[in-house]
Amino acid sequence: MIYHVRHQTLVRYASPVRLARFNLRLRPSPWAGQWTSDYALEVDPAPSVIESRPGGWPVHVARLVIESPISQLRIESRFRAGVQPGAPIIPLKGDPTIAMVAQAALMDRDMGPSAPAHYLYASPRAPLLPAIGDWAAKLLAPDRPVIRAALDLACHIQKTFAYEPGATDAATPVADAFAARHGVCQDFAHVMVVALRLAGLPAAYVSGYLRTDPPPGMPRLVGADAMHAWVMLWCGPTRGWIGFDPTNGCITGDGHLFVAMGRDYADVAPMDGLFVGGAGQSLSVMVDVAPEEEKENIA
Amino acid sequence: MMVADAPAPSVSGDSWADAYLAQAPAGDLFAGAPPAMAARWRTMLDRLSAQGQGDPTTLADHVGRQASALGLAFRLTGDEEERPWPLGPVPLLIGSDEWTHIEQGLVQRAELLERVIADIYSTQSLVRGGNLPASVVTGSPHYWRVMTGTPPPRGHHLHFYAADIGRGPNGEWRVLADRVRTPVGVGYALENRLALSRATGDLLGAMHARRLAPFFDELRRGLAADCTRSEPRIGLLTPGRFNQSYAEQAHLARYLGLLLVEGDDLIVSDGRLFVRTVQGLKRIDALWRWMDSRFLDPLAFDGNSRIGVPDLYDACARGGLVVGNWPGAGVIESRALAAFLPRLAREVLGTDLLLPNIATWWCGQPKEAQHVRARIDDLVVGSAFDQDTLGLPQTHFTPGSALEKGQRAALLDVMARRPMDYVGQEVVKLSTTPAIVDGRLTALPFTLRVFVARDPLGQWRVMPGGFARLAGHGDIRAALMGRGDMSADMCVVDSKPAPPDSLMGGTPAIRRVGGMLPAKAADNLFWLGRYIERTEMTLRLVRAIVGGSIEADLAPSLASPTMARLADQLVEWNAAPGRRGAMGPLCAAALGDATRPGSVRALMGVVANIGEGLRDRLASDFWRLVRLPLPKFDGEVTETLLDASSRMIERISALSGLAAENMGRTEGWRFHDMGRRMERAVNGCRLVRSFGGDDASADDLTVLLDLQDSQISYRTRYLTGPALAPVRDLVALEPHNPRAIVYQAQHIADHIAALPTLRRDGMPEEPRRLADALVARLAPLTGDMLTMADMADVESRLFALSDAIGQRYFLQLRKTETTDLLS
Repeated sequence: MIYHVRHQTLVRYASPVRLARFNLRLRPSPWAGQWTSDYALEVDPAPSVIESRPGGWPVHVARLVIESPISQLRIESRFRAGVQPGAPIIPLKGDPTIAMVAQAALMDRDMGPSAPAHYLYASPRAPLLPAIGDWAAKLLAPDRPVIRAALDLACHIQKTFAYEPGATDAATPVADAFAARHGVCQDFAHVMVVALRLAGLPAAYVSGYLRTDPPPGMPRLVGADAMHAWVMLWCGPTRGWIGFDPTNGCITGDGHLFVAMGRDYADVAPMDGLFVGGAGQSLSVMVDVAPEEEKENIA
Repeated sequence: MMVADAPAPSVSGDSWADAYLAQAPAGDLFAGAPPAMAARWRTMLDRLSAQGQGDPTTLADHVGRQASALGLAFRLTGDEEERPWPLGPVPLLIGSDEWTHIEQGLVQRAELLERVIADIYSTQSLVRGGNLPASVVTGSPHYWRVMTGTPPPRGHHLHFYAADIGRGPNGEWRVLADRVRTPVGVGYALENRLALSRATGDLLGAMHARRLAPFFDELRRGLAADCTRSEPRIGLLTPGRFNQSYAEQAHLARYLGLLLVEGDDLIVSDGRLFVRTVQGLKRIDALWRWMDSRFLDPLAFDGNSRIGVPDLYDACARGGLVVGNWPGAGVIESRALAAFLPRLAREVLGTDLLLPNIATWWCGQPKEAQHVRARIDDLVVGSAFDQDTLGLPQTHFTPGSALEKGQRAALLDVMARRPMDYVGQEVVKLSTTPAIVDGRLTALPFTLRVFVARDPLGQWRVMPGGFARLAGHGDIRAALMGRGDMSADMCVVDSKPAPPDSLMGGTPAIRRVGGMLPAKAADNLFWLGRYIERTEMTLRLVRAIVGGSIEADLAPSLASPTMARLADQLVEWNAAPGRRGAMGPLCAAALGDATRPGSVRALMGVVANIGEGLRDRLASDFWRLVRLPLPKFDGEVTETLLDASSRMIERISALSGLAAENMGRTEGWRFHDMGRRMERAVNGCRLVRSFGGDDASADDLTVLLDLQDSQISYRTRYLTGPALAPVRDLVALEPHNPRAIVYQAQHIADHIAALPTLRRDGMPEEPRRLADALVARLAPLTGDMLTMADMADVESRLFALSDAIGQRYFLQLRKTETTDLLS
């Protein structure tokens, strides 16, 4: 599946701000089964510095510095990406149990960006809340097969949490979203990450895109009009990382485009930064993810 | 009954030592000492006893006073106010043989830790080789993967290292914790030594206690040696004055001659670090950081940090900036990692640790987890990475035996799910040392924090002394100081006096100017001056109302319109509520009502607050004066108000005297003096307009002279009572009257002329232009032609000048907002 992705961000400041420094995490980081080409980043007004830096995790970070005062900032990120079609991932009879995966993760000797060891522990936005552990304990019993258990958990979140854009924002603590059983993809992914880690499993937070319009005859996935978030779970040395989408209650497939993976939202936030000036800001985002054939048809 | 051949006890000495030995537990540092050392303990206790005239409380008070005179204080988490420093008067003595063993052990550990850190952030061969589990590294909140492949200058991740060590009853020393994030306690150790030396005269010298000063010199030169410039500028990066150990940091900065800087003093430009000073941006070569890595750079580490420096990471990554310790070094502090140090020592150094850890089992391994679960009642269960952990109390550890049945089951349950978050540790039994508790010499268990630093050659130096913490009660392994704990100095004593210090590194080049003045310090000094002056004028207004600064019989005769004007001033200055009602309560409010921002109490609070941010630049005499409580007064009794305001004016005069006589004529002094002059000039304009208007009465003019402290000057010039034009001339325009407005203007102009300029084209900067124009505006005026419109004009020019000073010299870019945008 080949997609054309366009992600526009427009920020307006109530009064001019100076010395703005931003991190952008919009360019897909390399990930198995996916390729990216023709990447373009447009920033208006033009920054004095754009550079890339390592993010520590599978994250591509672009640094912007805009020294002159600005009252508006427009960012457009465009690229072409392909997702290898393959047989959908499904739970199998011989999958390792949760206990086996937890033990394997502790003994793993990898320290690379996607090493399971990085994703085992509490992180700033994913504190290990006992309430979430109790809530998920049955689904994540140590002797359950890991993929089946994680899929059950994703489905359970999709069924029991209300998808309510606007009920939470990027800063909402996972505890609040969990207590209210509502939120958006970010909140659901955080809840799932916390639950998995409390079971001793290495779980990561992923940002990415969903195709905007579903294939004929398929329902439109929730969260397609903005950047999406889901969870990666390391399922042992054989099966490796597998994506689970608690917003849609499924294992990720060729409709999910990987951008970045980190311990929680803070590691992969599409944009954050600092500026001088105390202005209020407003933000509008437009995301379009179109399959290549469709794009050609339109053209 | 006395044994016949026992030596007769001296009046004081033997009784302390003997009484102590009679009840000291086995393994006590004094009681268990070999004969030669025991004799020295005895000598020391004799001397201390003589000094306290046999009364331990007297001695303790004496040492405590020295500690507080040094400005020693600390905060416990959650404290608003600083607490006085609980320094015990009896130092711990450690002989040179015992110390040599500790010293070698510490040097070995520092080297091991350096190499483990370097490996974690480069090739990770220890992890790959199976000697250190990856999850022991990644579990630490102080592990920063972005630092991988970002080596420090000369490969020195560590410039300092501190260890908490404990002594078992058999005299064996063990490491309780390794600390590399901040060397909290090193400044306290230094100050403990200073206080003790001051309180005990030549005692420490007579004991042949090794000196601490050379260690600090080595530390500073060790940082400097890694810099690329030959005369590097080194900053001590503090989290700010609300940090628990801010007093310690300020003291160290002053002692070592480092620039005390906060995050917003600094800026990164083109990958280089600069400090904002009144002379513009100045390069910083090295930072001794006293904040955790996560706070250092909101763009690279924790985005919520408000105390860091944006892009400091880039300055590190590009090379050319020395940071002690290098970001990410804290990864080796965890209890989980400590469990692997014996193995790592054999792997990396090929030898065993000279100074072992307390036995530790990391539960991330099945066998160790099983061991801890089975022996939980004999062990301490702790957080593997020293953070809030399910099932453990806030201290992050608990003896298994202290758990109730339900708690124990709950802990075992969460441990089964996330074993990697826990360690088991052996229970430590600590030996004791003599301390004065409730007026008696008592044996208290202790731990010791000891410090190691790199010298200019990159070799490790151990501070020959340390910070001893004596347990008030409970376990003393948590923080530096807990409630009820005491600190004490630790002295390493030699059997012979040390040879006199050679001047290591040669004599420094003579210099006649101090370091840079950071823009924020200039800002603080300026406002310190303004607030002190404002306090003084508020006091003068109160004193004018309650009478007394002039002839005793004058106050009651003040015509009521004059009294009303005085009261109006206090109301206008936000010192007092509306002037309805009696003058007594109004004056009482102006003095003591903390809720009124213009009251003397509130203003002195602001003075103390600003002064706190200048801790490294103000003398301890300043602190003593500012911290004295407001004198007592009763709003119904005029005499008490008069007395209180007069005594406060004396204190302000003492502060002025300190500034005038004790502050070096640096840029800092200029800003402080400008602040005083600016405030005095603005107040002068207001007072002339209120009490020196065209319809001013004789009483008004008398009050004006009084407020401007110009009574005597007036009487030496004129035989008549106060008349309008001469009074106006004296208080506003006479260049020789240090209270006159023109005098302030001239001094401000002189200060600005002496300050550095950033322009290269020879044109005056804005403050210079405005100050010169103000002087020129006032110069031709005389008292008989001065109008109130002139005064209003001068006042608005002063405001413009104050703004221009702020724009030019102080930080304009301090407030930053963060943005965190939802997708």
